[in-house]
Amino acid sequence: MIMMKYGGYKGKILKINLTTGAISTLAFGDEFARKYLGGNGFAARYLIDMVDPSIDAYDPSNVVAMMTGPFQGLDIPTAGKYYMATKSPLTNGYFDSVSGGYIGGQIKFAGYDGLLFAGKAEKPVYIFVDDSNVEIRPAEKIWGRLTGETQEMIKEEVGDPNLCVSAIGPAGENRVKYGCVITEYRAAGRGGVGAVMGSKNLKAVAVRGSGTNQPFDMKKYEEWLAWYKVEVKKVVALTTGMPTYGTTGLVASVNNQFGGMGTRNHQGEYFEGWETLSHETLKKKYWVQDTACPACPIACSKVFTVREGKWKGATSEGPEYETLYSFGSMCGISDAGAVIKCDNLCDELGMDTISYGVTISFIMECYTKGFLTKEQCDGVDFSFGNDDALMDYAEKTAKRIGLGNLIAEGSRLAARKVGHDSERFSIQVKGLELPGHSARALRGMALGYSTATRGGSHHDARPTGEYAGVSDRKAIEGKAPWVIGTQQMTCIGDSLVQCHFLERLLGFTLTPKYADMINPVTGFGYSFEELRDVAERILDLERVFNILAGHRRKDDNLPRRFLEEPIPEGVSKGMHTDEPTLNKMLDEFYPLKGWDKVTGIPTREKLVRVGLEDVAEKLKGL
Amino acid sequence: MSVISVQEKKPLIKFDMHKCAFCKLCELSCSKYHCNNYSDALARITVIRKGYTMFRYFICTRCDKLFCITACPKNALSYRGGNIVVDEKLCDSCGKCVKACPFHGIRLHPVTKFPLICDLCDGDPSCVKACPKGALSLVWLTETRK
Repeated sequence: MIMMKYGGYKGKILKINLTTGAISTLAFGDEFARKYLGGNGFAARYLIDMVDPSIDAYDPSNVVAMMTGPFQGLDIPTAGKYYMATKSPLTNGYFDSVSGGYIGGQIKFAGYDGLLFAGKAEKPVYIFVDDSNVEIRPAEKIWGRLTGETQEMIKEEVGDPNLCVSAIGPAGENRVKYGCVITEYRAAGRGGVGAVMGSKNLKAVAVRGSGTNQPFDMKKYEEWLAWYKVEVKKVVALTTGMPTYGTTGLVASVNNQFGGMGTRNHQGEYFEGWETLSHETLKKKYWVQDTACPACPIACSKVFTVREGKWKGATSEGPEYETLYSFGSMCGISDAGAVIKCDNLCDELGMDTISYGVTISFIMECYTKGFLTKEQCDGVDFSFGNDDALMDYAEKTAKRIGLGNLIAEGSRLAARKVGHDSERFSIQVKGLELPGHSARALRGMALGYSTATRGGSHHDARPTGEYAGVSDRKAIEGKAPWVIGTQQMTCIGDSLVQCHFLERLLGFTLTPKYADMINPVTGFGYSFEELRDVAERILDLERVFNILAGHRRKDDNLPRRFLEEPIPEGVSKGMHTDEPTLNKMLDEFYPLKGWDKVTGIPTREKLVRVGLEDVAEKLKGL
Repeated sequence: MSVISVQEKKPLIKFDMHKCAFCKLCELSCSKYHCNNYSDALARITVIRKGYTMFRYFICTRCDKLFCITACPKNALSYRGGNIVVDEKLCDSCGKCVKACPFHGIRLHPVTKFPLICDLCDGDPSCVKACPKGALSLVWLTETRK
């Protein structure tokens, strides 16, 4: 047994080679834990050591990491999650996706800090981890099944109704570039982690553990929890907003207060049909039950059922705000019933709702503009607002039938195939479709999306501080340090594998309050400066991975529509970030990060300063 | 309220499926209270989810039939002060009580292998306190046992 000096760690990573069937444990020491913290940090370090960043994402030598941080299994709020990372087929760079699910705690209880899947199984398999007993089991019978069925079948096979299973659906199996991983009804959605699992013939991972997780200093930990319980009462969003409405409240506020709700593939940013998608309508007409990630008192997840109308009978956990944006306003659909139905379909098929919705809205614009004819669209009418097309093509995309084969490639590759300079309005950064936080109405998100490791992700730079008015959403000056701060905060959050909702309490950018939360659990005694260096170290690892995969400054960009067309209507009318403005912000951003201004490559001095000399060697000659 | 003082009434932890959000804080708080660390394998209450809204909980209900006590070949279990009490000197961890309980209210400690049964945390159940949704409550039923 490995004894760790620090709390919250087991000191072991389970590595499974699916080609050879070899199962091994990789031990790590106290120094490693202190340097990389967990989740994001661990995965970034293992991936850069194990994977050649220039390979194809579906190459068997790619590795999928399923990680936890020090908090999993404890009752610390919003940490009931697990973390997945791999080289993404969508962005071709480092990609991570975090999802709620009890499997994170179970990995800890089983005695590991994470799992690594390498190689490619000859036939479909699933992994069953029962404490130290690890099995690679055949999954031919469950291959092709929906995610819900898959989880049930594995629970039945093992004979444990309480088993935690993370599974991919048909979308992942068919390598839809945004195939995701589903646990219960929650998704590690973005970037195609599920597709990479599918390329390895890995259908599911089931984990059960009988061990424990303990904080380093129980007394100080309890003191922190007591502090949290008092302080959280002052944050209305966490005590009333989120528990009552989840993230759906953003529809009304983003649309009406900020005029930044992407509509009809961002041709506009005000959706006239917002009222039927709003939190009040959803709560009144569709709400059935609140659900939570493990150990989370907020319970932002909602189960909705459609009780009347065209999609009567559909039930889904969700949709959350992003799905209301991608299926709703982006596709011009104002019927929440349709959004609920399609959300359920995508969960079952194992497909990212943001990427799917935004790609469909791209197809709809191409169809409207005549770049895609009706024959090319399998005879289907892809006009904005046609919910039948959205619904039909969920399954066709997951199975790559007809036009679904094009939709499965994501909007960037689809645009290249469609031609007609349609890449101008493919709403993606680095290939990842943008979520519903406007890069035109929020200056921070313009810089945030363009510089993010993952591209169009709202969990690299965060929009919340600008919504709250802490940072002026229109300002150009001072945006670079703000964005760097939010990226450091999300990086630490992803390493703790904790959701970012506590940002309203602990700080929108990285603050000493985060160190106060970490120290009782781990015993690191981090100062704020050391914690900031941990974040910079991890972000630089990701950046180096992307650089080795071929990314440069030119990839730190925005969709051309955002650079060229101001918002045509609404509260934020006239706003956008044009190319000179973006370049100005980038010129401020790179030196602050210690990255080269021309190429965007981290400088040797910076990498040495954060303790990554060995990684700096990899960049020699670039 | 002490358990002993209301012996004529039977305590029950009640569960409201419609309020439960499946956060499992009840399980973690149980393990924290009894074992001073966190693990669902140490919890005396279990919540499982089937489908979107089907939540079920498993805990000792202090049933009238006392299946576990009858099933124990070593007489290690007894009903005292509203709780099933385990005599660890007599218990040989055979697990017959676990199998006998139709409510799945008993599990064996993963290390010591002694049965883990709800003891109401000295009359102030930590799971009830921990539930953020108010889905769990402690009620007192009239004791029908003689």
